[in-house]
Amino acid sequence: MELYRTLEQAGLDPIKVALSSVGQLYAMSEIDLLSFKHSLVVESFEFHYQNNTFFRNACEARGITPTQILCTDDLIKIPLLPIHLFKANDSHKLLSKSLNTIELEMRSTGTSGIPSVSRRCSDTVDNAILGIYAMYREFLKLSKGAGLYLCPSTEEIPEMGMIKALNLLSGLLDTHKFMVKNETFAPEDALEQLQGWGGRFDRHIIGPPFLINRFIRYLKATNTRLKLDKNTLVITLGGWKRFNGEMMSRAEFNQECIEYLGVRAEQIRDIYALVESNVIAIDDENGVKHVSPFVHFSVRDPKNLDKEVKVGDIGQLAILDPLSRSTPGFILTEDLIRLLPKTDESGRSGQRMQYVMRLPESKEFGCCAVNLDKRLDDVEAERDNACPIVS
Amino acid sequence: MYNDIIIDNFSHPEFVGDLESADHQFEIGNPVCGDRIQMQVSLDGDSILDSRFRAWGCATSVAAANVFCRSIIGKSFAEVSARQTAEISAMLGELEPSQQHCVNILNELHRELSLAVSLEEG
Repeated sequence: MELYRTLEQAGLDPIKVALSSVGQLYAMSEIDLLSFKHSLVVESFEFHYQNNTFFRNACEARGITPTQILCTDDLIKIPLLPIHLFKANDSHKLLSKSLNTIELEMRSTGTSGIPSVSRRCSDTVDNAILGIYAMYREFLKLSKGAGLYLCPSTEEIPEMGMIKALNLLSGLLDTHKFMVKNETFAPEDALEQLQGWGGRFDRHIIGPPFLINRFIRYLKATNTRLKLDKNTLVITLGGWKRFNGEMMSRAEFNQECIEYLGVRAEQIRDIYALVESNVIAIDDENGVKHVSPFVHFSVRDPKNLDKEVKVGDIGQLAILDPLSRSTPGFILTEDLIRLLPKTDESGRSGQRMQYVMRLPESKEFGCCAVNLDKRLDDVEAERDNACPIVS
Repeated sequence: MYNDIIIDNFSHPEFVGDLESADHQFEIGNPVCGDRIQMQVSLDGDSILDSRFRAWGCATSVAAANVFCRSIIGKSFAEVSARQTAEISAMLGELEPSQQHCVNILNELHRELSLAVSLEEG
């Protein structure tokens, strides 16, 4: 609280300072970092409580006011928005600001086909962009190279959150190419592009896991083993469950990347993110995901959501995101995760997470990637089953 | 980013819901990632008596569904069917490029309504 007040009294926005101080926040003691995050979350709670009738009514129904969130243990009292509300017909009630302040709508669509739409005002867009880039720099250290994007471009689907987040990386690179066009993916073209960049750029492969997996399946089928560069990164974002329900194994995926792309395990980095939130968690070189240091994860007992589970235990993820100004950033997800204890090699304070699975009772799974996965399979099936016609 | 028509219709969508008894219902949308609108219409002879919708998607598409309902209730089917593209486009006011697809949505709602009623008559 003291740091927060000091920054505020100096005329600085504590959130903006936090966003540009990722390394410094991770270097704080656990207790100082948690105290600072508490201040950011309380200020955000106060803002939404004052400006959002729907949220305020929910708080009043539970008898909660911002003055009751005195210490970090009180954060659990903040009412949460179940994530399905972002899909609701009346999602306008989630806005803490007028629609005319909204700059950007982004969406994600799972297996139900109903889009989850998040609306960000200019202030929230500032926070999201600064936060994502700060995390990219902290964990990926990208500033050059070539990006082989195994996904569609933002030109094709401009509002898709996953693609938007991955596309931000392209500004850090010298060149990039999107390899999924008009819902088709030709792995031979991706291979040709990678070979064309060989010896000129560090080659990075970026996309949802299932599409990188498709590329690897092609390499396997043609018995092609690549040796990418020593600075190559294989960056994944998106679900690990295919549209048919099949769960992809992270360990198997890593092993195949090592074998067929010629990279080391520490060059494979997975990202966890949600379109409804501004949080991003990225694998470090040991494969451990670090949560953005300005966002707080509270892992709840799915059978008793008022209770947190112990570090290491699996629970339902609640996100307390103070970056969100247009809608309350206090979200109950349908993801099961576990927080990991700090180890000697991790070197950073803050929270570390491991994604486990979607809540079993969740009505759907996946993000926009899962629909793309299905579409690509459908297109391939249509092509394979087409009657050969001589023309 | 949003004009007053979109702000008003998105923020106060008075026609969201279901009809007790609908004569016609249809759905439009993009099966992959896009907007989705379910529309219900009841008729009184040649006139449109009432209409309700459920919409999922961007603010402009939700607003477009509400605009559509308001614009057809109390009108004759012939009057609604006679609307030209320019008239339909004007119903949403001036849009930004990223919102232009909602003009297509509004056109499609008109087309689907015509189709639904014509099929019954045919």
